Amino acid sequence: MIETAVYILIALTGGPLLGGLVGGLDRILTARLQSRIGPPLWQPFYDVVKLWSKEKTVVNVWQAFCAYCYVAATSIALVLFVLRSDLLLILFIQAVGAVFLVVGALSSTSPFSQVGAHRELLQILSYEPLLILVTIGIFLETGSFKIERIYSWNEPLLMKLPFLFVVLGYALTVKLRKSPFDLSTSHHGHQELVKGLLTDYSGPILALTEIGHWYEVVLLLGLCSLFWATNWIGMIVLVGVTYFFEVLIDNVSARLNWRWMLGYAWALGLSLSLVNLIWLYVG
Amino acid sequence: MLENILSAGNLSALLIILPFCGAGMCAFIRSSKIRMMVILSTGGMLIAAALILIGRTPFQFSPEPFFGVHLSVAIEVLDFFLLAVILYLGFRHRSGIIKALALFQIFALAYFEFFMVKAEVSSATFFCDHLSLLMILIICLVGVLICFQAIAYMKNHEDHLQLAASKQPRFFGVMLLFLGAMNGLVLSNDMRLFYFFFELTTLCSFLLIAHDGTETATGSAVRALWMNSLGGTAFIIGLVLAYADTGMLELQPILVSGKMGGGWYLFGIALLCFAAFTKSAQFPFQSWLLGAMVAPTPVSALLHSSTMVKVGVYLVLRLAPAMNGTFLSQCVAVFGGFTFLCAAALAVGQSNGKKVLAYSTISNLGLIFACAGLNTSQAIIAGMLLIVFHAVIKALLFLCVGAIEQRIASRDIEDMRGLYADMPLTALMTVMGVIMMIMPPFGLLLGKWMAMEAAAGNLYVIMMITLGSALTVMYWARWAGTLMSDPFAGRFKPEQQPFLTWLALGALCVGAGLLSMAAPWLYQLIVPALSWGYLPPYTSHNGILENPYGVFAVLPLSFVAVLGFVVAIVAVKRASRARVVKPYLSGLQLAESGVFIGPMNRPVKAEAKNYYLSSLFGEKKLTTWINLAAGVLLTLMAGGTL
Repeated sequence: MIETAVYILIALTGGPLLGGLVGGLDRILTARLQSRIGPPLWQPFYDVVKLWSKEKTVVNVWQAFCAYCYVAATSIALVLFVLRSDLLLILFIQAVGAVFLVVGALSSTSPFSQVGAHRELLQILSYEPLLILVTIGIFLETGSFKIERIYSWNEPLLMKLPFLFVVLGYALTVKLRKSPFDLSTSHHGHQELVKGLLTDYSGPILALTEIGHWYEVVLLLGLCSLFWATNWIGMIVLVGVTYFFEVLIDNVSARLNWRWMLGYAWALGLSLSLVNLIWLYVG
Repeated sequence: MLENILSAGNLSALLIILPFCGAGMCAFIRSSKIRMMVILSTGGMLIAAALILIGRTPFQFSPEPFFGVHLSVAIEVLDFFLLAVILYLGFRHRSGIIKALALFQIFALAYFEFFMVKAEVSSATFFCDHLSLLMILIICLVGVLICFQAIAYMKNHEDHLQLAASKQPRFFGVMLLFLGAMNGLVLSNDMRLFYFFFELTTLCSFLLIAHDGTETATGSAVRALWMNSLGGTAFIIGLVLAYADTGMLELQPILVSGKMGGGWYLFGIALLCFAAFTKSAQFPFQSWLLGAMVAPTPVSALLHSSTMVKVGVYLVLRLAPAMNGTFLSQCVAVFGGFTFLCAAALAVGQSNGKKVLAYSTISNLGLIFACAGLNTSQAIIAGMLLIVFHAVIKALLFLCVGAIEQRIASRDIEDMRGLYADMPLTALMTVMGVIMMIMPPFGLLLGKWMAMEAAAGNLYVIMMITLGSALTVMYWARWAGTLMSDPFAGRFKPEQQPFLTWLALGALCVGAGLLSMAAPWLYQLIVPALSWGYLPPYTSHNGILENPYGVFAVLPLSFVAVLGFVVAIVAVKRASRARVVKPYLSGLQLAESGVFIGPMNRPVKAEAKNYYLSSLFGEKKLTTWINLAAGVLLTLMAGGTL
């Protein structure tokens, strides 16, 4: 019981801390790739604190509801991950957060926010099946959806699920809002939709969406870590390399439109998953 | 004494006969007040009887001969009468196909009854296990609530149409008749009795769809009749074949001994599945259900949630043990997965709210068929949970759309933009319904989660379910967001609606939520419905469903969800004291909402509409191909058994 409580506490506090630090590192790394120095490591936290202290303004009161539900869903998903629960269920709960973010954006009539929301839905449509198929692959290999069992598996999953790892990377690019798939909203200020999905979230409510995103990032990196769950060093190296790769792709590619995103995700992502799943069935 | 009167046999007789009596009374009573009393009292008694039945299940019984007439003889006569009515309708609407199908059924039935069937049914005429009980609870609770709401709805409906003479007597007569037919169907053990009620639901749906008497209504009703007659024809042929091979005349032996015969028997079962697909409006027979939305909304609610389409999935879940481990079962799974995916894709392309609901029904039924086809105990339980939760939530959504349509005179999602400002409570209930459709920890998602974990071993099915669920999230989330789309920060004031409307909507909305929390207990209630050889797939402890490879902590997650919900509501309260700003429009805004100063100093109205992606998911684009593919799959299914 106490152990569970400790785990929950770790997930709830450690999640945003880690997520914010990853964000800070991301910004420094991106800056270095662009020959800049970049902000301090703790900049994402400064940003959130600043947003939090701003005056609260709303377009529609239900935006506050959606923002809270987003944070709730993403944090519950991370807590369940830390408690080593059912992977498929965790993905469903993570999707709840994503949907609430969209509904919140749709509740404003601003066309920027509306179009951003619809693009976000298309992003969900692109990555959601891929994430679930990755889970199915993990199930076929380990015989369980429970993370507990996956951590006790004595061979790195990457060996048996190489293509599915690529597919996960694909979903990760969309989910981390990295180019070429940062259609709905972007970290950078060159978005044709202003801030897209997040246009009408402001002040403390915007800060909440940022915190929710941190939880999500940590959850997804956790998912990556499952592919080398046999030892800590392998886990950290795999996650580090993957993240570096994401940042690299972000910096060298231009934004695509949704047809490309959906086409690539479904055609390439699904065929890669299919091939890998067939191997598992046969093997 | 009371115990004797409330015996299982009497209760089930009540469940079948009472709606028939109520229907008869409704049909003749002209006074709307007395009719309302009849409907309310019939409904109340049905609910009570269904609830008492929980403690009496399982049981079986055969009614005593009534004035010397055996029930099976009476049913035989009624069966021919029913087919004669359908034949008459074929003549009246000049539909060759209905005439042909009705005639064929009359001859097939005559041959079957008079030349083939030798022995009488060996066990009981009626039986009720936990699956039947589940269906009865759905029919009597959800179905009755829909009838209650229909009282308020139909008054409005006829005020609007300004009819010379009210057509409500017949309308409510058929609605109640439908409930009786459904109760009879799920209690039948004798397949001939099952067939009678099967045809009776076809006739009821015809009468209800044709209710408004317009040209489109009649056209849709005729289409529904011929498609379902095709199903009836397949049913009787299937019955003949299965009987010829194994002497199967009852459902119960299937539960006990599972697969019983070879080629022709399996082909018979395949035809029964085909009949189920037509009833449940699976591709390529979806058009009758889409056409059925011309009827008053309570009819749609009834057809989509607790009656009609649920007959198909009930039948296939019943037959599942008979095809366990066969190619046929795999085909049903693939066909179900295919329908789940394609109907979800078509729903994405729709802006018509009722059509979205219709495609979502077809899609969910496909998922239930997939579960029946996967045929593991986990999948079967998932199918049953999906039936329950889909019935409750879909009834809620249909009734909400009905209420919305009567207010805004449109069923287009674009016209529901910002509906929250006008009808806050109905809009919130609709959003709640959407949330319960796509989000954990609610019951439908529990069912989907189980279905996915059960389908993980079948590559085709899991691929289709995965893609289908992503599409499902898309069309629901879009709708929920559109309803709330409004620059709004005022106080919450519920709109005016008749009491019966609020009663039905409130009961369904709260009921669905509570039922979701109680899902582990619901699971324990339905586990005994698994037939012999199917082991309980989960252990249930402290409200947590768990097995060696999956876990869903239903109750703890529900509590966390409630907590999150409360926090979010408090946040809304606090946000309503915050400063309200206008949506960002990238320009100087005028006093009028959504207008900004554009180029040349002209006022421009900012507008954005939803993505329906009709270039990818439009009906015109997809329907032909989907129907073709469905035809191929059905042929594969039927041919593979021989």
